[in-house]
Amino acid sequence: MIPLESLRDSFEGIIPSVIATTDADGMPNISYLSHVHYVDEAHVALSNQFFSKTATNVARNGLATVMVVDGYSGQQHVLDLAFERSETEGEIFERVAIHLAILESRMSGIMKLRAVDIYRVEDCRAVPAANPLVEPEPLFLPDLMSKVARLTVRMSDCSDPETLLDTTLEGLGELFGYRHSMVLVPDGERGGLTTIASRGYDQFGFGAEVPAGRGVIGLAAERRRNVRITDLSRGRRYIEAVRAMAGVEDATPIPLPALDKPLSQIALPLVARGRLVGVMFSESTERFTFRHRDEEALIVIAAHLATALSFLSEERERGEANGLEKANAPAASVPAGRRIAVRFYPRDGSLFVDDDYLIRGVPGRLLLHFLEDYARTGKRDFLNREIRRDRRLQLPDFKDNLETRLILLRRRLEEKAGPITLERADRGRLRLTLAGRPEIEVVEE
Amino acid sequence: MLGPELVDFIESPVMILFATRDEAGRPMIGRGSGVRVDRQSGHLHFLASRSQWPDAVSEAQPGRPIAMTYVRATDYKACQIKGRIVAAGAADEAHRARGEAYVAEQLARMMALGVTRMQLSSTLSDQELVCLTIEPQAIFEQTPGPGAGRRLTPEAAA
Repeated sequence: MIPLESLRDSFEGIIPSVIATTDADGMPNISYLSHVHYVDEAHVALSNQFFSKTATNVARNGLATVMVVDGYSGQQHVLDLAFERSETEGEIFERVAIHLAILESRMSGIMKLRAVDIYRVEDCRAVPAANPLVEPEPLFLPDLMSKVARLTVRMSDCSDPETLLDTTLEGLGELFGYRHSMVLVPDGERGGLTTIASRGYDQFGFGAEVPAGRGVIGLAAERRRNVRITDLSRGRRYIEAVRAMAGVEDATPIPLPALDKPLSQIALPLVARGRLVGVMFSESTERFTFRHRDEEALIVIAAHLATALSFLSEERERGEANGLEKANAPAASVPAGRRIAVRFYPRDGSLFVDDDYLIRGVPGRLLLHFLEDYARTGKRDFLNREIRRDRRLQLPDFKDNLETRLILLRRRLEEKAGPITLERADRGRLRLTLAGRPEIEVVEE
Repeated sequence: MLGPELVDFIESPVMILFATRDEAGRPMIGRGSGVRVDRQSGHLHFLASRSQWPDAVSEAQPGRPIAMTYVRATDYKACQIKGRIVAAGAADEAHRARGEAYVAEQLARMMALGVTRMQLSSTLSDQELVCLTIEPQAIFEQTPGPGAGRRLTPEAAA
């Protein structure tokens, strides 16, 4: 039997698989199957939400034959399967469910996974091309381990969270060829995520939001699982067919984060000490950019990023404790200059500068806090540790991600190039600079 | 048994799967290389490459059951036809020409969808074609979704 491990590219659903069964009268049944999921060297899993005849036949004799197709070469393999069990929860179920959830998000629940069927693979044989149309071109796949090693070394050299984020995304492009990537962090208030770093897009999009549970990024965060799509065009066509068949009206496409026409996407949750600290996302206009092996490489990068991000954010505060306790900012008298209109909405923490939307949520609340202090006392320097201690800023899920929110706020201000800027004065200290006199209006709704 | 719309659909350049089975009931999978419906008898003249699908074709013997699924790759519209094999033999010249035309057309269409010639190398073949004469017995909706598997012909016709 050909080892299933050597066929990982045939379990990606790039080219549809085929399933055949027989009924009690010996009549075969044959249909396409969107995905055969690899479980281990002797098992595969099938999501079986629509195949009623297949399910009936399998329930009778436990036999199925599937044919899987390599997404690159088109090489086909036939697998003789014997039904083992159905699962409605657990690791395999979750993995298959999240695939469907991506497609299902705008489908009124008709594609929700009911159960996943686990089959034992009794034999696996190649279907050689008897009359090949062209000579097969061997596939060159680079060694990813050495790239992982090089990038993690670079990441380990970073001494602050911002450099770490930029180094990571830079390295994904340079070493792996993943040229469109971003990191998002939990917004802490609405359960969504906010972009804090990006590479390869026309706009940086700092502060761009993804709602909880939506799209590959939202799902990766909500379920804390990697989500990988190898061919979005096929998924979309499949969805259209199901939608037309089911009479579901919905003209809106599945929302996609950044590239106009991505064909491959991957989102990995960043988890440190059991807590979600963000999502690393990458996409491409090519099919099959992210194979199983790419996902494995990115798991290592994501784990390293999550741990380092968490560690470096804390490190900032340890630095402050070592002699930088006192903010030695020149507490300037508030300059006259032009008026800077600041409008703040406490309901969602959204903040506008000169009628222009800046940011909302925790970063909005933080900036209001800085501006109020500045307007009252002329204070310009703020220490992480001091911000953390400030009772006025007791916000949900605030403590864990203070540093990333400060980065987001600083970058967003820089991107807007407006009258307010926030700089890193030195380790653990932020300096506020204003080109005028802030007039703060708090709008209660 | 097959209405004109369905005949047009299966004779159009759709992807074709078929399954036969061995004595033990284990299904054998193959891909078709074109089909033609005899308007008089209602029988299907179904083409498949023996060299590409030796297992499935060797079980395609007269009297045996066969299932065929026809799928339009652009929108996944699909149906499954089940029936009995009436006759099996090497394809004659006219059928071979039909099979070759089908493979050529299918190649062009699939490549337009982004599938490469290499990926189609073990999928499409017009070599060593056999022609199976099939009496259709039942037709089923197969477009993915909650209606997949729905029978399209009246019970009496089956």
